[in-house]
Amino acid sequence: MAETLLVGEGLTKRYGGVTALQDVSFTLAAGEILGLVGPNGAGKTTLVDLISGAQPATEGALTLRGQRLAGPAARRAKAGLARTFQYPQLALELSVADNLLLGRAARRHGTVWQMIAGAFAGALRPHSTADAEAVRALADELGIDGLDRPAGDLSLGEQRLVEVGRALGQDPLVLLLDEPFAGSDAGGVHGIVEVVRTVQRRGHAVILVDHNVDLVAGLVDRIMLLDRGRAVFDGEPRACLDSPQMQQVYFGVADPAETEEDVPHVVS
Amino acid sequence: MKQRVPGSVGLICGVVVAALILLWVGADGYRQTLVTTTATYALVALGMYVPYLMAGSLSMAYGAYAGIGGYAVGLLSTRTGLPLVLAWIAGPVVAAAVAVLLGLATRRLSGFFLAAVTLLFGMAFTALLVDAEGLSGGSGGLGSLRKLNFFGWEPSHYQVVIGSVVVVCGIAFLLDRLRMSPWGVVVRTMRDAPRAVEAAGVRVPVMNLVALAIGAAIAAVGGGLFTYSAGSVTPDTFTLNLVFLAIFMPLIGGSATPWGAVLGAVIAVELTLNFPVIETSGTLILALGVLVILLLAPQGVIGYAARLARLVGGRRG
Repeated sequence: MAETLLVGEGLTKRYGGVTALQDVSFTLAAGEILGLVGPNGAGKTTLVDLISGAQPATEGALTLRGQRLAGPAARRAKAGLARTFQYPQLALELSVADNLLLGRAARRHGTVWQMIAGAFAGALRPHSTADAEAVRALADELGIDGLDRPAGDLSLGEQRLVEVGRALGQDPLVLLLDEPFAGSDAGGVHGIVEVVRTVQRRGHAVILVDHNVDLVAGLVDRIMLLDRGRAVFDGEPRACLDSPQMQQVYFGVADPAETEEDVPHVVS
Repeated sequence: MKQRVPGSVGLICGVVVAALILLWVGADGYRQTLVTTTATYALVALGMYVPYLMAGSLSMAYGAYAGIGGYAVGLLSTRTGLPLVLAWIAGPVVAAAVAVLLGLATRRLSGFFLAAVTLLFGMAFTALLVDAEGLSGGSGGLGSLRKLNFFGWEPSHYQVVIGSVVVVCGIAFLLDRLRMSPWGVVVRTMRDAPRAVEAAGVRVPVMNLVALAIGAAIAAVGGGLFTYSAGSVTPDTFTLNLVFLAIFMPLIGGSATPWGAVLGAVIAVELTLNFPVIETSGTLILALGVLVILLLAPQGVIGYAARLARLVGGRRG
């Protein structure tokens, strides 16, 4: 049995009276790829935000390798999380190479002293061959070229690819990918799949969000199906595709046993 | 070409222009004052470069930071017997500390509100200087300051002018390198994509404070320089006018590199103080000039020149 990396227990997010995520629990083993699937508004991105610390959870707890994972996103990143965003967050005026460098550069500026010392070190020695080689290697792995282009010149698919590369540059224990395939062409999909495999080979884990179950099913080890803020299925991809929950969520075929309690989760 | 020192192109251009300016100045006292004024403006604009153009937060308290640098020289000179050089350490350190405190107080503000509140702080600082007569000499300020003395060697005014130009070029060169460094990549990403920086493991609010502190320290160096070469400092020495000009200097010169701020300072001082034909309306000319530049060459003079150079170079090869 592989080592357990990340555990989420009873994760809940409420905005006022609206419950975006209700009591979601999961475990993620080393080397595992978890697909997070569900229709729009199911709470996939909310769950990624709660894990990465972009939003605080209303309730629930996370542990990474047995250590409690809490606090601002930066602290969780230092503990070993990296993520991409549903809407790519790149520095559009900076080159592709600089955007790829961010993940690596950020690791060296994690503490206040590193931030201060880093300014002096940066002015004295702006470039290092180790950084240039690391960026080169990332670009090769993802199949990105034109490293001197400003990131703003890239297509949406290319931007996603750069973002995935930046996150990989952090060498994360758990990589969270929020809809990485949206807007990607075949080459982009290939690059992202390569990254997922790389992380897996390193014995680390990936959580991959997508609303397209068929695309994800071939790549992931397990699927968690979210619907209206709840985890309605967690298991093998094939079993997920055949499950009544899947039918219910995507094709609206009602399962009479579930309809009673399956009302929108609005508390007053 | 691949092995060249990062930032060397800017440095070479900067040094050549600086040398020409120093030759032009010579023994002319008025021109010497113009150069030290330009150097001060350039240092304030360079100070703003780090938090404003790299990190993307517009703090307007730079009059106060330059003032702290100025009063450090004034106080050390009139109230203590300590070597005057120490003022250029104390001033920047105090200015950086004040910037951190102000940054902590305004950490939830951005954009217009940050600008407005820091502007208010700058005005409050001026008022404080007028009121705290016992310490700051009130509205009359501090005058008849000591001269620098390095083990018996007293630099002449011209040597101070050269020194100030060297300091400006040195800081612009270092900031240009800082901009390209991993630190610069992190800070510049904060502008467009703070969430990405946070998600990569850098606390954006903390890094912002570091950027503010560096900027304030550089502005304080400029304030100290001006106070020293003027021989006195008053609450009106570092006005809001200076801060407003400093915001536009990188836009005039080009915001892509810190050298743009320096070039902008040269142009701004030349237009406002040394334009004999239309002496009284220099500020008006500057304002119109800024407008024209923003409309026609939004990347500033350096950005425009670089594009021209690429066009010419492209045709050749």
